[in-house]
Amino acid sequence: MTITRRAVNLGLAATLAAPALIRAARADGDTIKIGMVLPVTGPAADSGKYALTGAKIALERVNKAGGVLGKPIELVTEDDQTTNPGAVLAFSKLASQPDIVAFLGSIRSTQNHAMAPDILKTGKPVCFGGTDPKLTKLGNPWLIRFRPNDSYSGRVIASYGVETLAKKNWAIVHSTDAFGTGGLNALSAALDKAGAKVAIDQGYANQSQDFTPVVLAIKSSGADIIGSYFTFDNDLAIFARQLRQLGVTIPWVGSPSIITAGAVKLAGPALYGTYGVADYAVDSSPAAKQFAELYAAVSKVPPDNYSSWTYDAIGVLSAAINKAGTTDPNKIRAALLATRGYQGAEGEYNFDEFGDGLHGYNIVRNEKGAIVFDKHIEFTD
Amino acid sequence: MEFFLQLLFNGIGIGAVYALVALGFVLIFRATSVVNFAQGEFSMVAAYLMVVFAVDLDLPYWLAFGIALGGMALLGAIFNLLVYYPLRNRSYLPVLISTIGASIFLSNSVLALYGPQPQVLPGWLDIPGFQLGPVYLDSQYLIIIGVTLALVAFQYWLFERTLLGKKLQATSQDKEMAALLGIPVALMIMFTFVYSAVLGGIAGILVAPVLFVSIQMGSTIALKAFAATIIGGFGDVAGAIIGGFAIGVIETFGAAYISVPFKDAFAFLVLILFLVLRPQGIFGERVAEKA
Repeated sequence: MTITRRAVNLGLAATLAAPALIRAARADGDTIKIGMVLPVTGPAADSGKYALTGAKIALERVNKAGGVLGKPIELVTEDDQTTNPGAVLAFSKLASQPDIVAFLGSIRSTQNHAMAPDILKTGKPVCFGGTDPKLTKLGNPWLIRFRPNDSYSGRVIASYGVETLAKKNWAIVHSTDAFGTGGLNALSAALDKAGAKVAIDQGYANQSQDFTPVVLAIKSSGADIIGSYFTFDNDLAIFARQLRQLGVTIPWVGSPSIITAGAVKLAGPALYGTYGVADYAVDSSPAAKQFAELYAAVSKVPPDNYSSWTYDAIGVLSAAINKAGTTDPNKIRAALLATRGYQGAEGEYNFDEFGDGLHGYNIVRNEKGAIVFDKHIEFTD
Repeated sequence: MEFFLQLLFNGIGIGAVYALVALGFVLIFRATSVVNFAQGEFSMVAAYLMVVFAVDLDLPYWLAFGIALGGMALLGAIFNLLVYYPLRNRSYLPVLISTIGASIFLSNSVLALYGPQPQVLPGWLDIPGFQLGPVYLDSQYLIIIGVTLALVAFQYWLFERTLLGKKLQATSQDKEMAALLGIPVALMIMFTFVYSAVLGGIAGILVAPVLFVSIQMGSTIALKAFAATIIGGFGDVAGAIIGGFAIGVIETFGAAYISVPFKDAFAFLVLILFLVLRPQGIFGERVAEKA
């Protein structure tokens, strides 16, 4: 066969046109698409991997059970680079695809704040994991939360420390980002209510390489317990190690980051004996246990809240779309908010009018590296 | 007082890391008049090599260290050939952009190969540290300070007392003149890259047990080291070392006595003050125009 110029041109044209044709074929809807903004690069890239794993497990479950509206669901992911501009860019890339019916946002409050204006403009439900209480009170109806917010974590940390551990002189260590500041406010308010005192409040900037000044300040403050809101595993692990090296042994109740697989591995013995509030704890419910089994089949590290919330979000979202019977954003949102008694890995989802699905937390202990369930504290107000 | 001493020790420890990375910046700048923005990534790559050989393959620490540094020397040579050499006759800007590209390439390659989870690299010694009076001395920080001082001494000897050092200095001062005198300029620059990669690698391996091994570990250190280089006077070896220690101590004390959230700001505040008041740095000579 001789290769003519026409044949080459034809081949080239076909090659160029193929992706567009394939995309067109997909667009007429043999799948239901859900967009997902997650960190693939940057300091939180590890948590992004866990988030994707959780979402994929749920995706497979839903698709095996017949999918959504009779079609399989499909995830379309974009890297947020662990930065706010990256998150905004990632969301706008996804938002420009009209066939995406709903989104999974970030587990980081600061990024959800950054994306919020675009989310409002897009007008489709965004399930997110950030725990700054303000996010569901922005007047943005499209933000639906799949983790208990920090007003609950603050109350649980305070209630456990003050009532169970009987400590009333607190040191609070927190990141200065939206998550850490939100946590500080929630915890101080809860401590104030419980009649405890904040001896010292130490904010730090993310990716600090040295926490000696923070540890020494805690040491000299006379505090008898630490409450913490750390954003990144490595910051938490460096702090934990320096805390122990400089001889501080007072009890420590931390926000969920203290019991993530990454932090537990990095800090090792420095975190033994600490307490954490956990939205996800294996032994807290049968649904949590089932998730742990599914997760163990695909991953070597134990599941944590990075993966459990995306798992629940895909589950609740799929059920809501099925119930709505359509991909109309308003109807999906209404169905999401009407969800009651959904047994997820993180707990029982009962959405309130603001879009908060969970209203309590588990308290867990780090026993020589193993995370042990202690108790669940649920709030009804 | 006990707090003061503790802060001073940790400040000097972290400052030593900045100084080592700053040294790499300075050497390459002197040889090529270009800031190598991938210097921080050299540290990161070396730390990952250590994780591979010392943790994953469980080789003896010294052997893993040797292999990692060998790997860094190779990386320095490849870096020179691919990133610098093809652009050597252009102005500084293309080379600078090329090093930024290399830095992104290196961090994303490691991300793709090793995954995003931060890793643990045990320290050189089994004892984590000991109490000396009121001060806790982290054994890894002691090693960092010791190795930095030893490397500074080695560097002084190399540049001031050996023929190779003289050739390197001649190359950095005037490439054309050096070439006319029969000095193999390309080889000297190659050596500089190899040596800088190894230096950055040592910094990364030393600091890994303290800061953990992560993709972004290099860039956070390099930013401070860059500030140290400017404070010391760009291109001055002694200045880079003193600048590194100064940044480490200033940010630690600033955080302790003024404000923790503004810890990073102190380093850059000092940088800005220097740029305004003494742009040539501590040891820099006032040069109106670089000939």
